[in-house]
Amino acid sequence: MSEQPESTTATTERSEATDSENDDPGPAAGDDNPGSAAGNDDPVPTATPQVGAVEGKEDVVLRVDDLQKSFGGLTATDHATFEVERGTITGLIGPNGAGKSTLFNLISGFYEPDGGTVTVNGTDVTGMEPYEIAEHGLIRTFQTPRKLEGMTVREAMLVGPRNQPGESFLTLFTSPGTVAESESANLADAERILEEFEIDHLATQPATDISGGQMKLVELARAMLAQPEVLLLDEPVAGVNPTLAKKLKSQIRRLHEQGTTFVLIEHDMEFVMDLADPIIVLDQGSVLTEGTPDGVRSDDRVIDAYLGGGA
Amino acid sequence: MTTTETAVSVVVGFVVLALFLALVTGALGASYFLFLFGLAGMYALLSLGLNSQWGFGGLINFSVAAFFGIGAYGAALMTAGNSPIAGGFNPIFGLIVGLVVAALVAVAIGIPTLRLRADYLAIATLGLAEVIRLFLRNERQWTNGSAGIRGIPSFFEGWPVLGTLPQTMPSLEVVIVPGSPILLGTQFWRQLLNVSLLLAFLGATFFVLRRAQQSPWGRVLRTIRSDEDLAKALGKNTFAFKMQTFVLGSMIMALAGVFYAHLNLFVNPGDLDPITTFYVWVAVILGGSGSNRGALLGGFVVVAIREGSRFVNDFAWFPIDGAPLRLLLIGLLIVLVMRYRPQGVLPPQRELIWPSAIEGSGTPERPTSGVREQKGSDEAGRNGGDNDE
Repeated sequence: MSEQPESTTATTERSEATDSENDDPGPAAGDDNPGSAAGNDDPVPTATPQVGAVEGKEDVVLRVDDLQKSFGGLTATDHATFEVERGTITGLIGPNGAGKSTLFNLISGFYEPDGGTVTVNGTDVTGMEPYEIAEHGLIRTFQTPRKLEGMTVREAMLVGPRNQPGESFLTLFTSPGTVAESESANLADAERILEEFEIDHLATQPATDISGGQMKLVELARAMLAQPEVLLLDEPVAGVNPTLAKKLKSQIRRLHEQGTTFVLIEHDMEFVMDLADPIIVLDQGSVLTEGTPDGVRSDDRVIDAYLGGGA
Repeated sequence: MTTTETAVSVVVGFVVLALFLALVTGALGASYFLFLFGLAGMYALLSLGLNSQWGFGGLINFSVAAFFGIGAYGAALMTAGNSPIAGGFNPIFGLIVGLVVAALVAVAIGIPTLRLRADYLAIATLGLAEVIRLFLRNERQWTNGSAGIRGIPSFFEGWPVLGTLPQTMPSLEVVIVPGSPILLGTQFWRQLLNVSLLLAFLGATFFVLRRAQQSPWGRVLRTIRSDEDLAKALGKNTFAFKMQTFVLGSMIMALAGVFYAHLNLFVNPGDLDPITTFYVWVAVILGGSGSNRGALLGGFVVVAIREGSRFVNDFAWFPIDGAPLRLLLIGLLIVLVMRYRPQGVLPPQRELIWPSAIEGSGTPERPTSGVREQKGSDEAGRNGGDNDE
């Protein structure tokens, strides 16, 4: 029931909005209906400036520079370059096989790139182990979350917080008090977040018994416990029923308003277009174009890529 | 859960009662009884070790016997009178050597394999088990080869009071059932000391593992067991966690080996036969992977079958010899458990959170029934609609 996190995080959002030329009453991000703001076509000053332009003062939380990866003869990622600014929801779309998941795996360290760099929060994390990249604040979810056997939902949530004292074997015996303290605090946090997500009734259910859609919500909630600088969501609503998808969308929007930065891959166009701004379109492993939902929607190259025209 | 626990307690109660009856009627010697108990505890210790690898972290270790052997030979080579290396040390020193060597071997085998999928550790440990066994058999100048090492002192030899306790204790004759007195001689006191040593080892191990299991440390391992990538994505150094539990489990197995050396007073390469590994796996799966209590139970059940089947040879009318019957029973048991109770007899608790943390939290500890879930998902639907329309 507590609203603590809103006060601290909302300020970043606001200051960013004032950076734009005038105090536009309807910044696209966080708006209930971004379609209306962007409906007036491109020249409308939005909270999120055009990506690709070299912006010194904007706070770039994730920078992907000239990233390359091939598997044998197949080039999966071909000189991909883009930036993600703090406080945005960046949508990553593209036809099947465009290299979206490969790109996620490269960014989060699950694949090692053949070339190029990934920078998180100003630190070059290229070639680091996934857990090290996570320690720098880049947290990701997976397309198909595997359920944690033998755990309850709140127990599964407790894996989220980073660097818990109780994760050191020696500390368990040298200072059990510290462990108990942090465990209590984390449990309270977990329950608060479950409440905010309106899934607190699941807390003591076995994690294997909840539905796939609920699992996606739990995953998102757990990722928040890791306090991400930037959160990569891999198809958050794939296979999720429409009701839960809506719920996920409103949660992502709520967290975004509180200042969380998202990058998401999603095949559900309506979902992405409604939520994300800017949108990056990938095709054959490289960035085809990027821009506002409407800009992207009306781009002929994007249509070609999706329809398999001879682009 | 509770019905299973009751059933298990009843069965264990019956077995204890039967053993007690056998004891008082003289069918079972008191010191042999304690020896059996020591053996069962040793298997329980091995099961706990494997449980901390397979049950906690999903690590497939097929060299249980090898780590057991490292412990046993470490203790034997350091303490025995005819040790080809450096006998005559204090058993405590042997204990430390056994554990340290086991830890080093675990690290050495873990470095190349624990970054890979679970299968690779399985293959590597399969090989390691044979390497260690053949090393002990063939490197005669260090290990006495297949002759084994004799003259291992009891663990308490040289200790102030305990060292000479068995000799100084009087021989007693206890008569409970008239006509069949129970002899409590030097052998008995010696075994009693062994059993108390075992209980100390077992108690310490159980305490450590229980705490580890309920901790965030154990939780990360359970996450790794289900989905290692997820653990990595949440910032957990999965390699380090797996290495820690692998080393921990291997040291517990070596501890069982150290105890065995001082219980049996003789070790040979035959003690490292792969069948030991197999028995321990059976014990862990039977008891319930991930469950410390289950590992204890499994260890005792395996020894009950192993040793109990010896007695069928006393009955001339029984058509099957003890040794094959043993394997038959174990096989049958595994099939039955897999078919009817794949999670094991005493599976781990559903929720493992640092105990004092739960007391402070507001939600009820008991997992709720499905009724509430139904209501919850309706509610979820309503709220989702409210927010978006």
